[in-house]
Amino acid sequence: MASLTMYPDDERLAGGTRTAFNLYIITAVALFVLMMLVGLTMRMAQAKWLDVPPDLFYELLSMHGAGMVGTMALVTTAVMWFFLRKYVRLHLWAFVANYVLFLLGALCIIVSIFVGGYGALWTFLYPLPVHGVGMWTGDWSALFLVGYLLIGVGSLLFYLDAAAAIIKVHGNLGRALGLQWLFGGTIDQNHPKAVVASTMVIIANSLGILAGAVVLVMSLINIFYPQVVLNALVAKNLIYWFGHMYINATIYMGVIAVYELLPRYTGKPYPISRPFLWSWAVSTVFVVIVFPHHLLMDFAQPRWLAIVGQVVSWGAGFPVFLVTAYGALTNIYHSNIRWTMPSRLMILSMFGWAAGIVPAILDGTIRINSVMHNTQWVPGHFHFYILLGVLAMALALMFHEIGSRANAPPNSGTDRLGFPVYLVGGLIFVFGFLDGGRVSVPRRMAEHLQAWTFTDKIGSVGAILVVLAMLYFAIRIIVGLLKPPSPSPGVAGVGTTNAAG
Amino acid sequence: MSPRRNPWIGVVLWLALALPPVRHALEATMTLQMLVQIPLLAFAGWCMAAFMPRRWIDAAAAWNRSGISGFVLASLAAIVWMLPRMLDAALDAPSVEITKFVSVPLLIGAPLKISWPRAGFVVRGVFLVEVIAMAIRLGWLYLVSPVRLCSNYLLSDQQQLGRIMLGIGAAICLLLAWKLVWGRIDVDAARDR
Repeated sequence: MASLTMYPDDERLAGGTRTAFNLYIITAVALFVLMMLVGLTMRMAQAKWLDVPPDLFYELLSMHGAGMVGTMALVTTAVMWFFLRKYVRLHLWAFVANYVLFLLGALCIIVSIFVGGYGALWTFLYPLPVHGVGMWTGDWSALFLVGYLLIGVGSLLFYLDAAAAIIKVHGNLGRALGLQWLFGGTIDQNHPKAVVASTMVIIANSLGILAGAVVLVMSLINIFYPQVVLNALVAKNLIYWFGHMYINATIYMGVIAVYELLPRYTGKPYPISRPFLWSWAVSTVFVVIVFPHHLLMDFAQPRWLAIVGQVVSWGAGFPVFLVTAYGALTNIYHSNIRWTMPSRLMILSMFGWAAGIVPAILDGTIRINSVMHNTQWVPGHFHFYILLGVLAMALALMFHEIGSRANAPPNSGTDRLGFPVYLVGGLIFVFGFLDGGRVSVPRRMAEHLQAWTFTDKIGSVGAILVVLAMLYFAIRIIVGLLKPPSPSPGVAGVGTTNAAG
Repeated sequence: MSPRRNPWIGVVLWLALALPPVRHALEATMTLQMLVQIPLLAFAGWCMAAFMPRRWIDAAAAWNRSGISGFVLASLAAIVWMLPRMLDAALDAPSVEITKFVSVPLLIGAPLKISWPRAGFVVRGVFLVEVIAMAIRLGWLYLVSPVRLCSNYLLSDQQQLGRIMLGIGAAICLLLAWKLVWGRIDVDAARDR
């Protein structure tokens, strides 16, 4: 069971682990600010407040998509590593290798976009990368794809190291998931939720990365040998198997922060249960096969696959979400929770996750999808659960960790101001997208008609608030992480949580 | 009798594969050459690696940390023998055929045998993931290639090979997933050395 000690000794970062963790977090928050600025630029261009040429718009859109997905994966990998290393022996080299390969991959992507002019978006849908129509050449598309390969290899190395460490302790991944307790037996209350969630991510995302490894290399072959014509539908299925899994895994890595930290802020244990294990087991299967919901508009897609996409969409997110949200609420109930930045962010993340998946479940319904999928409804969904869900989870750990310097979670007056700015800005921003979807504003368009600009302007205002809040968070976190660690081991118990940072 | 105890199994297998009737039979189709003959030659090399003096292996160990160099060597050699042009050339030119019979055991089978015990879970994992991915990629390529890639083999043979390779990739993937989720795995047995 997760510790109730606010800053337990086995979480303390020292030497190489501290340097590596700081590099991950500082890189991530800096990239988040930059990518948010890119997003804001695009929203303001759609609102006609800025003049951005269409070719630059699609470069920015490619950068924003690839950058945000990659950075979200980077930071939630740090969340998973931070907690998993308490229960199994992870190798620092694998964590560092993932970081280095991420940077190399990011460099390839940045150069391909801003030097080569690549603008075929983060989804690199075949055959778009080879049809640059004079904007970019196949060589730059190839560099973009190589960037993805490097990032994927880094993730795979980290997952394999984590898998080895988990198997060494638990025997196999099934036992780590707790499958032996699904139908009976006494559940070991010391079985860590972090191990269950990490195991699910390792299984599901490794399969996604495998799909990516196939389709990325096939796309590269097509670039250099165009006579090999790929089946566009098969390529799209593999791309979304990889892409959906990769971004979806971030929430399952990020939620580990809630499992581990929430009990410390409520002072109440957060026991593991059979419904919890069932939900993770079911989601392990569902998240692997849910990707066809991205292809519901593809008329050539086999009907049975579309039906799988719809049915599994309704079920994939629910089990883990319901169990987590219910567990979190019961953990908070009658707990005298201390409202500091980490606890606020954790509760926000539960809301962001809950509300953010509703538009997805609606869009995962074939009838609705045929009307809504190419509108701003979909960016409304994924910005909702990523901005207010996943990022909030990662920020919770970051704020918690900078509190370790003073053995007290941060809760300054500026923090208390920054949080509502982030929340309100985030809501305005995502509802700008969702309302745009409601009135059928198409997505991925550089040029918007005058009639569409109302929701663009609303979204831009929200985005400005989010960027301001994130800029503050980034500075606060970077300064906090660079402070020397607390000289004494973290012995502060639950009672110290009300100390303001 | 395990190949480890008796490397002569490798010699016998290699000689059997070199017999003209066997060689002609296994080179009659692209599928047999790629999925039966070449893997068996690699297996012969795996067995014959036991002939290599211990001190040679120990001397090379410093350049084969965690078996990575051996895997890279085997992969590079395997890439050559995945090329349809090489399969064709082996049938047309005796020198290429001899090269195949020497290089596949020596540069694929033997390095894998020497490197596998040195490789940790991560190195083995990366290698196996790449084996699966490569089987699926090659299968896909052989299926969609608009032309005959080997002048000695029919297009239908090439496409059959493609389908089988897709199946092999999927089968290895399922087998590994099953083993990892439900199997018994001794992570320490695959120790970095």
